[in-house]
Amino acid sequence: MTNPLISISNVTISTTDDDRTLVNSVSFDIAPGEAVGVVGESGSGKTLTALSLLGLLPRGVHVTSGSIIYNGNDLLLADREKLRTIRGNEIAMIYQDPMTALNPVMKLGVQLIEVIESHDGDSSSATERVMTAFAEVGIPDPKRAYESYPHEFSGGMRQRVMIAMALILSPQLLIADEPTTALDVTIQQQILALVVQERRKRNMSMLWITHDLGVVANLVDRVIVMYAGRVVEIGSVNDVFTNPQHPYTAGLLSSLPKASDINRTRLISIPGIPPKPWTVGNSCAFSPRCERADDKCRSSLPGLSQNSHTLAACFHLMGGGA
Amino acid sequence: MTLSITDVTKRYKIRVTGGQVNALNGVTIKLSVKETLGIVGESGCGKSTLARIIVGLEQPTTGTVTWDSQSIFDKAKNMISSKHSKIQLVFQDPYSSLNPRQKIGDSIAEVLKVHKLVAKQAISDRIGELLTEVGISQELAHRYPHQLSGGQRQRVSIARALASQPDLLVLDEPVSALDVSVRAEVMNLLIDLRERLGLTYIFISHDLSMIRHISDHIAVMYLGRIVETGPWEAVLENPRHPYTRALISAMPDHTVVGSTTYQAPLSGEVPDPAAMPTGCAFHQRCPIAVPSCSVNTQDLRTIEPRHQIACQEVK
Amino acid sequence: MSNSMKEKSWFSYYLKSASGVVGGILVLIMVMISLLSALGITPHDPLIQDPINSLQGPSAKYWFGTDQFGRDILSRCMDGMRRSMTVSVTAVSIATLVGVFLGVLGGYFGKVLDGLVVRFSDVIFSFPAILLALAIVNSLGNSSTDTSIAIAVVYTPIFIRVARGPVLSVKEMDYVKAVRILGFSTPKVLFSHILPNVLPPIVIQIALSMSWAILTESGLSFLGLGTQPPDASLGLMVSEAQALAAFAWWTLAFPSIFITIAVVGLNLVGDGLRDSLDPARRSS
Repeated sequence: MTNPLISISNVTISTTDDDRTLVNSVSFDIAPGEAVGVVGESGSGKTLTALSLLGLLPRGVHVTSGSIIYNGNDLLLADREKLRTIRGNEIAMIYQDPMTALNPVMKLGVQLIEVIESHDGDSSSATERVMTAFAEVGIPDPKRAYESYPHEFSGGMRQRVMIAMALILSPQLLIADEPTTALDVTIQQQILALVVQERRKRNMSMLWITHDLGVVANLVDRVIVMYAGRVVEIGSVNDVFTNPQHPYTAGLLSSLPKASDINRTRLISIPGIPPKPWTVGNSCAFSPRCERADDKCRSSLPGLSQNSHTLAACFHLMGGGA
Repeated sequence: MTLSITDVTKRYKIRVTGGQVNALNGVTIKLSVKETLGIVGESGCGKSTLARIIVGLEQPTTGTVTWDSQSIFDKAKNMISSKHSKIQLVFQDPYSSLNPRQKIGDSIAEVLKVHKLVAKQAISDRIGELLTEVGISQELAHRYPHQLSGGQRQRVSIARALASQPDLLVLDEPVSALDVSVRAEVMNLLIDLRERLGLTYIFISHDLSMIRHISDHIAVMYLGRIVETGPWEAVLENPRHPYTRALISAMPDHTVVGSTTYQAPLSGEVPDPAAMPTGCAFHQRCPIAVPSCSVNTQDLRTIEPRHQIACQEVK
Repeated sequence: MSNSMKEKSWFSYYLKSASGVVGGILVLIMVMISLLSALGITPHDPLIQDPINSLQGPSAKYWFGTDQFGRDILSRCMDGMRRSMTVSVTAVSIATLVGVFLGVLGGYFGKVLDGLVVRFSDVIFSFPAILLALAIVNSLGNSSTDTSIAIAVVYTPIFIRVARGPVLSVKEMDYVKAVRILGFSTPKVLFSHILPNVLPPIVIQIALSMSWAILTESGLSFLGLGTQPPDASLGLMVSEAQALAAFAWWTLAFPSIFITIAVVGLNLVGDGLRDSLDPARRSS
């Protein structure tokens, strides 16, 4: 990709104590204004990958190799001060549980003021900016919200506050880690509509992490599928969903019930469970569960290669499609 | 054999403020044998409370629940009548539904012993049968729950529920806590078991796609009431209640890729069950509400054979 | 296909805990000493006096020296250790049985019963432990049995609390609800499902309580309550040694060391148990 906003190259993340690999050589770019979805199940490494962008990996886990180039700087080599100026300001993040992102003993308005003050020097118009931000995310009574505490608000409302906090300094990239997974479906719809609207308005890039394929299908431009710590498929959302080339992606999609299926045909399941990334040797991590696997798959690692639809890491692509 | 839920309400008192939470506000269901009823709704709708009441874990404030015309709860012994191990529950969380200190084979054996269902010498065989029935290798009987995956644990929970030879299985979000690629296996298992053993299911979920896949009949709940109920095709292809329509259009659909408009069908939030709106519980968020909706509570009325909705404005 | 982990017993984790191993060795030594004393196998009779050899330092005949009556200090220490251990085991057994019983019942049934259990333990808690033990021993009489009862009373509320808390959370677990729905009787639910899952904190507390019990027994006999002369008791020996220590250090040193070994040993065993039973603290 020419001139990506952010470029992740061969990032590998392992545990510090016993060097277990959790994320293995992940590479992808995000263009300015592009929305990219990362889908995977538990243990796929999608959350750790996102956290590594902002240097927010938990204790005991660190990046062992690779680079994350943003604005000409490698974020993995940046010092704390540099990362601090980027976080919140140029790259922002929203999480699944607003209660852990919001300080329970601080008024909501003050928390947003804090974000402004820690980056811009100018706090004179801060209060006004906060009110505007609340209104933009659809909070009905910004004045009241300013004076409220997190526990006084519902889950959906708190998520809106978190979005307001993330967007108030107009970041270029928004990272979202399953922010709607714990919400009711009608509230999720409201939040997604809000996010789409804001993204269009600001031409902001987005990295959206989720296990919910339905959400991703209508939210992003490109999809990255992760399995056991590796990227197994990348493509436009249309290509990945209508012509998935990697058997895992195809298997995942066919295991979901389809609203258009009048006969409610039997779901096609993938036997077994995803392996722990560090237990996979030089082989395709999906081979134990794959119908198409042969000795080659079990003894060598397929790399990502371009096919007619997507980039996929597989020796026996699904093929077919229009 | 039928399950009869008649005008069940459930109110909890909030000790701190003295108020009360109306978890269920008059639910009536008659379930025929071998039918699968899917109950769908969002938070605050009362579906989990209803599940607990159906299996006897809690008592309704008013109303009755009977199986074959007999009450589920044995008031004299203050416990769930053991005759009614005919109604079993499969829980959402595979990690807390099995005793961590019991080998899974022993968990199942215990059920067989308590209900004296099988002669002592035959217990081991029966455990093997049940595990095979749910697709678990018999060797795993000697393992502890933490040595099994989430999907395997859920299967063991199902086997344990089946050990008491139930007629009705209440499934409370049985696949929601499982990884996406594992859900299909468990759903297929549930459907197979239903065929093989002639089971009746109440399948509770917030996920309409799963409800659609397994249910014969669907009930949509909102704030403690059923707002629409009917055969699955009727409710999903031809939803009449405004809430059902909003719910269906809010469901993420992975087969419809890249639709450019993203409109939320419903604004506002679910009201607090401790502060119920007057009249129809949905009127504040309803696109077709008229003033009288805030006054009249809505009862289910039949608009088509077996298809009922609780709304005065839909003709 | 299963996601199997090798099943490690709690004991293998226990062996990885430095505190646990050291404590375990100390406790084993104590137990052996107590057993030997109970069987009467001590170098000398703890009660026999040898006035000619009174206040002699450690020698080949009297390894730990002699006291003011010429009695063998080693034999008396062994005897004293036996008494301390007996009191400790008796007292903690009673406290555990009564406390866990009340705690489980209160925690599981809640409401009025729980209210009574909590009030009962609050009443005992409101007294400072040592003073309460003192008062009870004083009013009951001066024997090891009375000391055991006193310590048992003081420690019962702690076991109530240690049992009740976990019961409150375990009873809400799905697996408990599942067996209730399966029609299991209440005793079955309590014994097969609740109790096994609340055991770890109780077991740890037993070790720690025994440690405290030994200290208390020594303290009480130091003050002249509990075991009476001429019977041997570690606390009593320390008390008598106060006047002698300046010129006969062995009369103070050895009983003190024995008390220390017992208390520290049991404490370390408690730590070791905590390291091996609490899944969160286990190093894999």
